[in-house]
This record gives sequence, structure tokens and C-alpha cells, in this order.
Amino acid sequence: MSELRTSSIETRGKPGLKRYAMVIDLRRCIGCDACMTACKAEFDVPLGVFRTWVPYKVVGVYPTVRKHFMPRLCNHCDDPPCVRSCPVGATYKVEDGGFVLQHYDRCIGCKACMASCPYNARFMLPKSRTYTDITHVVDKCTFCHHRVTQGLAPACVVTCIGRARIFGDINDPSSEVSKLVSTLPTQVLRPEEGTKPHVFYIGVDRNLSEPSRAIYNPLDVLEEDRRAFNKNHKG
Amino acid sequence: MLNFKITRRAFLQASAATTAAAAASPKLLRAMETELGGKDFNPVGYSERKAIPITCHVCNIQDGALAYVENGRIVKLEGNPEHVSTRGRLCAKGNSGMWYSYDPDRILYPLKRVGARGEGKWKRITWDEALTEIAQKLDAALKQDPNSIMLKYGRNRSGGVVDRFMNTLGSATVMNHTSVCESSKKVGMEPTWGPDIETPDFANAKYILNFGSNIMEAAYFHNPYSQRLADGMADNKAKLVTFDVRLSNTAGRSDEWIPVFPGTDGAVALALGHVILRDDLQDSDFIETWTNVTVAELKEHYQQFTPEWAEKLSGVPAATIERIAREFATTKPATTYTYRGPAKHLYGSYNEKATMMLPIMTGNIEVRGGYCMPRGMGWPQPQPEPPKPAKPSWIADHPDYPLAHHKVSHLTPFWIAEGKQKINVYFSYQDNAVYTNPGSDAVWGKLYRDEKLIPFYVCMTPFMGEEATLADIILPDCPYLERWEPESMPNSLWPWLGIRQPVIKSLGESRENRIMMRDIIHKLDPDGKRGMKKYWDFKDGEDYMRHHFDNVPGLKEAGGLNFLKKHGVWPIYGKLDPATGKIVDKTGREIQPEYGLHKKELSAADMTGAVVEKNGAIMKNGKAVGVQRKGKNYAGFPTHDRIINVRVDEWAEYGFNPMPTFKQIPWHRTMRDDEMILTTYKINVHKQSRTSAVKWLAEIMHSNPVWLNTETGKKLGIKTGDLVRVESAVGYLVTKAYVFEGIHPKVAAISTAFGHWAYGRLAQLKLKTEKGGAWGAQDDPDLNNVWWEDKGVHPNQIIPVVADPIGGSQGWYDTVVKVTKAGPNDKYGDVKASWEKHVEAFKETMRYAYTGDLHRKMHPEMASWGGPGSVKHKEGGGH
Amino acid sequence: MGDFNIFHHMPWSSTYSIYFFVIGISSALFFFSMLSWFRQEFEPLRKSAFYVSFALMVVGGLLLIVDLSQPLRFLNMLNPSYLNFTSPLAWGGMNLLSFGAVSAAYYWMMRKNDETDSRRLAVLGSILALGLPVYTGFDLTVHQNRPVWNTPLMPILFVAMSLLSGAAVASFLAGTHEKLLAMLRRFMLWSAGAVGVMLVSLLGTTAYGGVGQELTFMFMTTGTLGTIFIGVGMLLGTAAPIALLLAPFGKQQQGMMIAAVLILVGGMALRYSILVGGQIVQTYF
Ligand SMILES: Nc1nc2c(c(=O)[nH]1)N[C@H]1C(S)=C(S)[C@@H](COP(=O)(O)OP(=O)(O)OC[C@H]3O[C@@H](n4cnc5c(=O)[nH]c(N)nc54)[C@H](O)[C@@H]3O)O[C@H]1N2
Ligand SMILES: Nc1nc2c(c(=O)[nH]1)N[C@H]1C(S)=C(S)[C@@H](COP(=O)(O)OP(=O)(O)OC[C@H]3O[C@@H](n4cnc5c(=O)[nH]c(N)nc54)[C@H](O)[C@@H]3O)O[C@H]1N2
Ligand code: SF4
Ligand code: SF4
Ligand code: SF4
Ligand code: SF4
Ligand code: SF4
Ligand SMILES: [Mo]
Repeated sequence: MSELRTSSIETRGKPGLKRYAMVIDLRRCIGCDACMTACKAEFDVPLGVFRTWVPYKVVGVYPTVRKHFMPRLCNHCDDPPCVRSCPVGATYKVEDGGFVLQHYDRCIGCKACMASCPYNARFMLPKSRTYTDITHVVDKCTFCHHRVTQGLAPACVVTCIGRARIFGDINDPSSEVSKLVSTLPTQVLRPEEGTKPHVFYIGVDRNLSEPSRAIYNPLDVLEEDRRAFNKNHKG
Repeated sequence: MLNFKITRRAFLQASAATTAAAAASPKLLRAMETELGGKDFNPVGYSERKAIPITCHVCNIQDGALAYVENGRIVKLEGNPEHVSTRGRLCAKGNSGMWYSYDPDRILYPLKRVGARGEGKWKRITWDEALTEIAQKLDAALKQDPNSIMLKYGRNRSGGVVDRFMNTLGSATVMNHTSVCESSKKVGMEPTWGPDIETPDFANAKYILNFGSNIMEAAYFHNPYSQRLADGMADNKAKLVTFDVRLSNTAGRSDEWIPVFPGTDGAVALALGHVILRDDLQDSDFIETWTNVTVAELKEHYQQFTPEWAEKLSGVPAATIERIAREFATTKPATTYTYRGPAKHLYGSYNEKATMMLPIMTGNIEVRGGYCMPRGMGWPQPQPEPPKPAKPSWIADHPDYPLAHHKVSHLTPFWIAEGKQKINVYFSYQDNAVYTNPGSDAVWGKLYRDEKLIPFYVCMTPFMGEEATLADIILPDCPYLERWEPESMPNSLWPWLGIRQPVIKSLGESRENRIMMRDIIHKLDPDGKRGMKKYWDFKDGEDYMRHHFDNVPGLKEAGGLNFLKKHGVWPIYGKLDPATGKIVDKTGREIQPEYGLHKKELSAADMTGAVVEKNGAIMKNGKAVGVQRKGKNYAGFPTHDRIINVRVDEWAEYGFNPMPTFKQIPWHRTMRDDEMILTTYKINVHKQSRTSAVKWLAEIMHSNPVWLNTETGKKLGIKTGDLVRVESAVGYLVTKAYVFEGIHPKVAAISTAFGHWAYGRLAQLKLKTEKGGAWGAQDDPDLNNVWWEDKGVHPNQIIPVVADPIGGSQGWYDTVVKVTKAGPNDKYGDVKASWEKHVEAFKETMRYAYTGDLHRKMHPEMASWGGPGSVKHKEGGGH
Repeated sequence: MGDFNIFHHMPWSSTYSIYFFVIGISSALFFFSMLSWFRQEFEPLRKSAFYVSFALMVVGGLLLIVDLSQPLRFLNMLNPSYLNFTSPLAWGGMNLLSFGAVSAAYYWMMRKNDETDSRRLAVLGSILALGLPVYTGFDLTVHQNRPVWNTPLMPILFVAMSLLSGAAVASFLAGTHEKLLAMLRRFMLWSAGAVGVMLVSLLGTTAYGGVGQELTFMFMTTGTLGTIFIGVGMLLGTAAPIALLLAPFGKQQQGMMIAAVLILVGGMALRYSILVGGQIVQTYF
């Protein structure tokens, strides 16, 4: 019998190849948002869009109330729908490392990739940026390809105050990410989408990570901001 | 600002860099992990960026950092991986620090006011014109009274330059901002054990009691301590219990959040102590050896503080107090930590003292995982140094607050208005009292606008803050990435020295503080005849740094300033391990700090010429240098008698209770049912007044609705998003409500850092109506993307002054307010307050001073005190 | 200050639904023009339907291009070394382009009165025309993370909607040709019926999906979007015309005209609400 057919682009477990992954240990995330601004600085990310963000939820009833943070970024899926849906191959996967990246000069801005990413990891760059002249194409987290390929951890990982973000090669069984993923219960977001995310969470409560009834009745304070965002930020 | 002079002097020896002990053995099999920093590359071209080590100063925690430069622009900031406290990380603010330099509304040349004060009309003038005018005014003031020259600073990291400036002028009228910051915490601690802050060993603790410190967002020291807290909680399974009136991120991430009624932490802490002593869980040996009370005395004193008594005051169930007390006393090592929560109340010093008694009575002092003394380092000053001013200044020495060794700056406007100190020239340096102080514009704005009270006001600042708009002359200072400054902060258990160095050439015509002040003195004393110029004889900032660093023992051998220019910090204890994120020594083992500083034995040389007194104090030249215990000569604690003073005799002299105690805030006792306490707090991504012009931070958080508990909201008929009116005795404001579960039902909380009426276009959301670069800076095209329309509402105008009669601290969290649905004519952002009502509050709070009429009433237990007349006036400002 | 502090836009704006609408009509009208070669009653539509189809195709193409953030890079779609065959959009682009080319050739052959070639091109063009609603449907279907969109029904629904709106437009072009009108009435009835059935089953599966789907169902059946989708799209734009067309008055030209207007308004509303509906919930994730 011939081999089972798996997606040709998956790199997890392929011998000789690296497969970078991030583990986000929610027990350690303190919601400081350092990752958010470190990433903004690293890439001159304009206002209104984020390559990584840290939403939170307040749960419980007074006085037993807790705050949960859930840092988010592109999952560098091993089976990324965004790559499949791009008509011009402007978003692509790097075999060695598993990065999902953008060819900015190819992107036509059709946003098919945005529609297909289940995680809102992609965004349209606005016209104005401080000093980078790549504008008006789709962008997203690169897993800091430019740093990682030169031996450095991603900017958000380096600055993570809680050391909640751990990065490494999950194809190397002695790496910290491998050890964490193999010894602790981890979750990925929206596993039902079959995207094989490579951002693993320790301690995520799926009740909190899923859209919930709160969406239907959003907080008024937030709603005003949302209205302002929809009005003033051209995506 | 934090003032660690005591620590520095006493423990300079403790800084011997190489006393790192070893613990866990290194792992053997190591993967090729990516390095945790130290380099950065351009994301488009992949070329390496240039790294320059600095010390962060977006807030006041002073984390070691690297600045990356590309094409002459600071593009990226990162923690310095060689820095033992920062371990290569910066917080959200630290990562955004370049926007202090590149703020499009930054002031890049001297400005002179045209038109009325505060009218907002400015004329660009040359440095020479500015200096000439300032020198003329100073000259005139010096002829009248040097003390009529006043300087008020907020954040002063100049390393002694500001003091040198004022000493050169011969004025003692120097005010800081410490009384609006944390001064009662300092005053609560200093007489007890010496240092003004503790250094908790979170990483190795097993149990942590946090009273009102928001470590995960603010506090001293947010970044380094949050790192250790995460290590302690995740790796060491430490339990964190947080007392706060609202669900800060720290409370929300704690194992237990225990809401307390505002101002009652002291009562809870005393009751915890009661249980510990009642159940005999204390460390008797430690108490008997190292404190000035006996176990029996303590037990006796604590009998009154029952959990039931504390429950009535604080709302914390007696059963919880019983449980926490046992957990705390039996889990070792354990530590407490406090910041402004307990201290910023009328009797904040008592609260602080009560909480620090917990690690003392359980012997958790100076042990691994416990409550340790801060470790700092000092540096010599360039010689010669100007002498101290000849005459004390009334407002800086405040005879009504003799124990408030960090001054009572927030009462200054009233004292100036009362004529206690005539002012001719007023300098402000990194101090936005108009925004950050209680009363804000209604008090400080009123003062600054009054040309009779403040005839000439020079503001040294890079930004058009609320205070700067009221200046006569603005001198463009450099933000931190363009300055030379020496640094040391006890933000970990490893002492260090660091620097700030210009990453880029200062923009426009801005000049750093030491150059600016030198230039003023040189203008005033061009030929040195006044005897001032000789104290300001240096070429530039770097030259000044050489005086500080080239002769520090140890550092000198390593290369002095050159070493610091290259590494940013000294000593370098080890290397950042990419696999653990910790600093490790050459063999891969985590470096360990030195514990038990008080048990450091004095050398024979230390003992020559010393006499040992009956109580064990080792005296040399009239000062205690150590303490003899069980035949050994220890360094002890840096107090007057080298032991922990549980009983602070100096307090009793002024009719205050020398023993741990608690005083309920009288107006909280008489609060009506429909009244609440207003509290204010800091958030993770902002720094008081300085960051609302930083786009990445403003984007994450730009408004501050008043937090209300769900139950309260129901009672008042207020939902999230509703406009509400918050009214205190001195004024009211109109804001939006955020109603949820994370706050005490009797508390309304409004965060600071929002609602600016100056501080540039972004802070005020005037990007569409005003043009950037008005004062010479470059605009930022990204500001076209600003999408939010809410800038928040600042609460300080409606917060009346309160002064802790001991520590002098502002009672920020004592304000009684009424919250109601806004009326038809109320508009979001309305704020009204009156000077007259603030004056009433000032008069009221002075009644609690030891000279006031309420002092005795508040201290029935001190009935035998002889009254204010019995106290000989002492020179203030001991620390 | 609320649960999440970062907002997300819907990737595909309402422009896209106008494109769906326009291109759907264009494709159906081409189909009717093709029918004219085989069914005599459609002859009056041969030219007029084609011209409108052609014009709408141009408008649709322009809309599509203008909606790109880099309109000039539309040409990248034609670059064979860039082309990604797993993307329905890539297929759609080629489909649209070849449809354009065949339409142009068809026009030319009709001008030349070359009946056989016109006939051949009409058939070829119709297959390509069918491809347009099919691919737009696929364009949505493939996004497995999107409620409402992610159903195999979507391409068929789009074909039915295309026929429905196309027939409505055609009925304006049909003049007073009774037989033709009767045919178009039948087209409208059947396709409206099909659309209705599919929408009901779409709503059913959405309502019974996981939390994301369930919330989407709630969004699509209440509030503003509910009014547009259920009120305008399903009731006014689908059920009402069916009822009208079945009534005696609906057999008269006037009645049909009213039904056609309703169908067009409804068709636009349906496309808009399906496009937007599938994207709302995720903006909160
Ligand atoms: N992000 C950020 N970090 C900072 C700063 C900043 O501006 N922003 N500033 C720095 C400075 S100057 C300082 S002084 C520190 C201050 O750091 P912290 O003292 O940690 O922070 P605050 O917000 O001032 O107050 C601490 C907490 O006290 C709570 N509180 C109020 N009343 C009471 C009470 O009666 N009991 C208890 N238990 N809690 C109470 C408030 O809800 C708040 O959460 O932070 C420093 N770090
Ligand atoms: N409501 C409320 N009010 C508070 C607090 C709170 O929690 N809530 N916290 C209080 C505390 S803890 C403190 S410490 C005080 C702080 O009060 P301040 O010391 O007044 O405030 P900062 O925001 O630190 O900065 C003051 C000014 O420094 C100027 N500045 C910034 N960078 C530079 C520079 O590089 N050079 C010069 N020369 N000037 C510069 C800016 O113009 C700014 O206006 O605020 C207090 N006020
Ligand atoms: S998270 Fe989204 S953008 Fe990232 S690889 Fe997966 S599908 Fe693509
Ligand atoms: S927006 Fe750009 S990257 Fe995304 S699918 Fe279209 S062409 Fe590809
Ligand atoms: S990996 Fe790099 S690009 Fe991705 S979120 Fe982190 S810092 Fe940003
Ligand atoms: S930097 Fe780390 S701890 Fe801070 S919010 Fe981001 S993930 Fe959480
Ligand atoms: S806490 Fe943040 S802003 Fe403050 S010094 Fe540290 S990194 Fe800088
Ligand atoms: Mo402070």
C-alpha cells in the first residue's frame, strides 16, 4: 500500500527540518502587554493593527474574581488555510522552520487570506507608517523570521516579562518547547479548524478562548471604542 | 522619588560582586535554543542594528536596556541581557520609550511666553536670551533671599546635579514629589529597620502577602519583580495573596484576591499578627535577638487586635484572617510586599508599619525567599562640591511635619499662598504637579497662574505638559535617550551601577539637565567671582560621568566609564541562559544573591576604636556601626542602634503611638450609605502624566471609566457606559461607568494617566485641529491612523489634599464621593473644583498634624504625652 | 476596558457583495442570451441581455479590482509563476477573464452574424458564466472557519440567486413578449423556490452549529442584519415574490415587474447579509 497522504506542506516531524513553535504558558502571563509594544517597535507596526495582542477576560463573582489573559498571534499553522487561499502565492510557507510569511511585493490585497484565517492573525497595512514603506498590503506576525534565522528569539519572546512565551524548534526533542508540549497538557486555538497551529497554550480555558454570549451583548464601554475604530480606521 | 541613600551608604560593601553561590546543577542535554536578545536585525533587509546600552527611564524603575539604532534613528528598545535585574526584558512602556524622543509635539528650542500666562502663545528665543533672562531674575532673587529661588522636581535621576544646582545658588527651597508618591511607606519603614523599601525575594518565596501593591502593572519594581513573581508562582509554586480594593492585574492573577475596605490594611495586618502571636507561631529567637521589643511585650501589645475587630473595620472575614495568618506563619520562606495601597491614607505610616511587622515577627527578614533589605550602590560626586545652604527653607522643612523626612510637597501651594515662603524664581524639573497632584489645576494651576505668588516660572521639560503651559520660559531638556546619567536601583537582590548615555545626538537645541544647569550658573557667574562657577567645571555630560565612575573601586579596574559605555551596567554577574531566562554563572548554574546582610560580621579593622555598649550597640565616633549579639559583632540594621525598632521612640515624642497600631480614618467612620471611597491607580501601559503622548501606549489604553461594583451599579441604577457624576467635597467630574465584579462595592476607582488638557495633540486628541511639529519636532505620519475618540477624564481636581501627620503623604485613597447618574446638562469630561474648597481641605488636614487640634483626640492611648510644647524643634530632613 | 481591547475589521467589505450581485446577473443574462439560440421565445433577449451582461461584467470586474488594496497588481493574477491553483480566487480570476474574452468574441461573431460560431461561443460562454456564481460560492465555502459560508450549498445557492436576479432583470428587457415573460416567470418561481429552500436549510444548520454558528444565527436573525436578511432578503425578496407570482396578478406584466423589483432588492440584501453574516462573530475573537 502506498503511504497515507498528508498535506505536502506540513513540516512537523519531518527529519532534517526545523519546525519552530511557541508555547504560551498562561500561568505565567501577567498581561503586561510588553509583547505588544515590542512587536510594534520591531516592525514599525502602524496604529490600528497588531501582529500580537493580549485580550483578557474577567471571570467570577465578587469577591472571587480572576483575570485571564490570552496572548494571541499568528499560529504559523502547519496546514495554513491562508496559504491555500492566496491567489498569487503572496503568502507562503517556509519549509525549514515552518514560518508562514508574506511576499509584500506580490500581494494584491484581495484579503482572501484574511477571510480564511480563523484567528484574525492578518491585517491590512494602512497607507501611513512611520518609516517603513511597505503599505497597503496584508501583513501578519512573521515569527520574527529575520531574528530567528539569525539565532535570536522573537522580539515578543525576548521581552516577555512573565516568561510566558517560550520559543524553539519543536522538531528537536530536547528543546524547551518540545519538553513543554510533551510533558504538559497544552491546547491550540480552534483545533476543529484543522489548521495545526504551532502556538501552544498551557492552561487555556476553552470556555474563555471561544467566542461566547458576551459577543452578542458587548460591553457598552468597549462598543464605543469599537464604533470609533470601525469609523476611523480603514482596514 | 525613591531615595536610597541610607542603603547605599550602609551596604556599599555588600555589593562585592562576586559572592554568588551555586544551587541547582546545570542541565546536560541542551537544545540549540534561540538567544534571548542582545542583538537585533532589520526585518526588511535583515541587516544588524547597532546596540547601545542605556537605562530605561520611561518610568522610574530604571531597568537596564539596549537601544538599537538604524540610520541614525532609535528604532527598537530591549532589556539589557547582561543586566541582572532586567534579564533582558522591558515592559510595554519601556519598549515604547523612543517616542519620548520622537514625540512630534516635543519642544526643541527655548520658548518664551508672549501674552498672559497659560494663554498658549509662545515665542522662540535663543538659549542665550533664555539664560540671560533667567540669570537676571536669579541675580535679583539672590539679593533678596536665596531661599526665594525654588526648585520642584518630580523624577530626578540626575545623580546629584539638581542638588548641586540649588546648593550652588544657596537655596534650601527644594521640593520633590515624594509626598504624592509613596512617602508614608518610607516613613513607616525607615525608623523601624533603616531602609525605605524592602526587596522581597519572590522567586524563592513560598508564600507572598501583597498589601496594595500592583506589582504586575506598576509598583517598585514592576518589570524585575513581575519576572521573579512569575518564577516563584510557576516554578516554586508560591502562593500569592493580594489585598486590594479593586481587581488590579496583580489581584486578578493572584491565588487569592481579598478585597479590603480602603485604608484598613493596617487593621488586617495587626489581626494577622494577633493570630500568629496568640498561636505562638512567631520566630521568638529573631524577635529577641534583632528587635527592641520582647516576645512578651509584643504578645501583650497585639492582644487588642483581634480578627473580629479587624473584620468590622476591613470587611475581611475573621476566618480568612485566621487562615491566612496560619498559612503565612507556617509556610517558609514567606514575605510581604506593599506599595501605595496601605500607605496613601491619612495614617498610612501606621499601616505600613503594621504590615512590615509580619515578616519581622516570623523571622523572614534577610532570608532566601523572604523580606530582604534593598541593595544599592553609590558613586562619588565631582569635586569640589558646593556647601549646603546656610538657612533652612520653611516649606522644605515644614515644622508641622517633623517626622515627614521626605517633605510634604503637596501642601506647598497653600503654604506659598499663606506667605510662609516668598518665591521669586520657580523652577520645575520633571514635575507636572498641575496634573499629578491632588487638586491639580484647581490648586497648582491656580498657584502657577498667580504672578504675585510665582513671579517668574522656568519649566525645564521636553514636553508641553500641563505645568509647562503655565511657564514664563521653557528650557528644552532632553528625554532619557539623549542624556548622561548615573544609575543604581535596588530592583533586585544584586546591587548594580548603571548609566544612561545619549543614544543619538540630542535633537534640535535641546540640552541635557547638567548642561542646562551649568549654563545657567555660568551665565550667572561668568568670571567665577561669585564662587559658583567652580562647581560646574566640566566639559560635557561624559566628562561629568568620568568623575562619577572612573574611580569606583572594582569598576575602576574593569575600565570605569568605558566599561559602562559598553555594557551599560556593572557588575555583570553572569550570562542570560536562553533555556531558563535566568542569569547563570560560567558553569550554567543560576547565580545566587547574598542573604543575611545584618549578620555580616564586622572586621577587626571595623572594630578598632569601637566600644560596645550595654545593649550591644557597637559605637564608633558617636555612631552605631554594628551590634553585638551572642558574642559576635554584626553589621545589624542601618538604624540608629543597629537593630529593628518595633517601638519607634521618636514617634512618641510627637504624641504618635510608637508601637504598631491602626487608626481608622474618621470621615470613613461617619460615611453615609450613599457615599463611597474614590480610589485612583496606575495601569500597566501608562506612566502618570508622561505616556499619553506615546502612541502605542495610548492605543492600548486611552480612557478611564470609573469602576463600580455590579451590586453598587444595581443600587444606583447605573450600567456600563452610562454617564455618571462623581462628586467629592471639593468638586465633581462627569465620566462613564464600567460596572463589573472586580471592585469593592464601596469603592469607585478612576485610573490616572488620562484626560489631559495639555501634553500635545495625541494626549488631547487634537490631531485633526492642530499641526504637529509646532516646536521644531518631526511629525509622525502614523498619527494619521489614530482611530480612538476618547481621551478619558482626570480625577485629581476632585481629590482633596490629605496629609499623613507622620509620613506627610497624600491620602490619595481617602476621598469620600457620591456617584450618581449624570444630569441632563452634564457632559462627558466636565470637571469642576474650587480653590476655596481645597483650602478648606488643607486646613482640615492640618488639624491632624501633631500641632493640630485633632491629634490628641486621635491618640487617646498617648494621654501622657506633653503636647506640642513639649517637643524641642529639631532640624528636619534627616534622610 | 471591556473583554477585549483590540478590534478586527471584516476582511470583505460590502463592495464584495455588490460584485456578487452584479456578476450573478451578468452571468444569468449571458445564459438567457445563449438560450435564444435554442429556444425561440428567448430571441428578444439575445442582444439586449448580452449587452447588459457585458456591461455588468465590466462593472463587476472593475469593482473587484478597485476593491483590491493594490489594484494595479491585479496583473499578478495573470502571472503564471505566481498562480496558486488551490485558491478559488485564482480560478475565479481566470474564469472571469476568459468569460470576458469569450463575451467579446461572442459580440464580434454576432456583429459578423456568424451564427454557428456565435452559437458555439454562446454555449462556451454559458459554461464560463455558470462558473461565476459557482466560484463566488466556492470563494466563501472554502473558508472552513466561517459560519454560513462554509457549506457545500453555497455554490448552488449562488447559481440559484444568479438565475433569480438575472431573470428579474431579464423581465425588464423582455418587453411585452408574453411567452418570454411566462418563461421568465417560471425561472423566477423555480429559482426563488430553490433559494428559499436552501436558505431555510442554511439557517437550520447554522442555528444548530457550535457557539460561533449559533451566535451568527442570532446576528443574522435579529437586529439590523436580521431585518436585512430575514425581512428584506427572505420575506420581501424571496417569499413575497413567490406569492405574488403565484397569484393571478403575478401573471400580468405589471405584477411581474413588481415581483422582479422585489427580487432584485432581495437578491442584493441576501448577498450582503450572507457576506457580512459570516464575518461578524470572528471580529470579536
Ligand atoms: N505602569 C506603571 N508603573 C509604575 C508607575 C506608573 O505610573 N505606571 N509609577 C511608578 C511609581 S511613581 C510608583 S509610586 C509605583 C506605584 O505602584 P503601586 O503602589 O503598586 O500602584 P498604585 O496604582 O499607585 O496603587 C496600588 C494599588 O493600591 C490600591 N489601593 C487603593 N487603596 C487601597 C487600600 O486601602 N488598600 C489596599 N490594599 N490597596 C489599595 C489600588 O487599587 C492600586 O491597585 O509604580 C511605579 N511603576
Ligand atoms: N490620580 C493619581 N495621581 C497620581 C498618582 C496616581 O496613582 N493617581 N500617582 C502619584 C505618584 S506615585 C507620583 S510619583 C506622581 C508623579 O508625578 P510627576 O512627577 O509630576 O509626574 P510624571 O508623570 O512622572 O512626570 C512629570 C513631568 O516630567 C516631564 N518630563 C517627562 N520626561 C522628561 C524629561 O526627560 N526631562 C524633563 N525635564 N522633564 C520630563 C513631563 O513634562 C511631565 O509633565 O503622580 C502622582 N499622581
Ligand atoms: S494563524 Fe492564520 S495567518 Fe497564521 S498561519 Fe494560521 S491561518 Fe495563516
Ligand atoms: S491579500 Fe495578499 S496575501 Fe492575502 S490572499 Fe490576497 S494576495 Fe494573497
Ligand atoms: S513572533 Fe515576532 S512578529 Fe510575531 S508577534 Fe512576536 S514579535 Fe511580533
Ligand atoms: S509580555 Fe508575556 S507576560 Fe506580558 S502580556 Fe505578553 S505574554 Fe503576557
Ligand atoms: S518598568 Fe518599564 S518603563 Fe519602567 S523602567 Fe522598567 S522597562 Fe522602563
Ligand atoms: Mo510614585
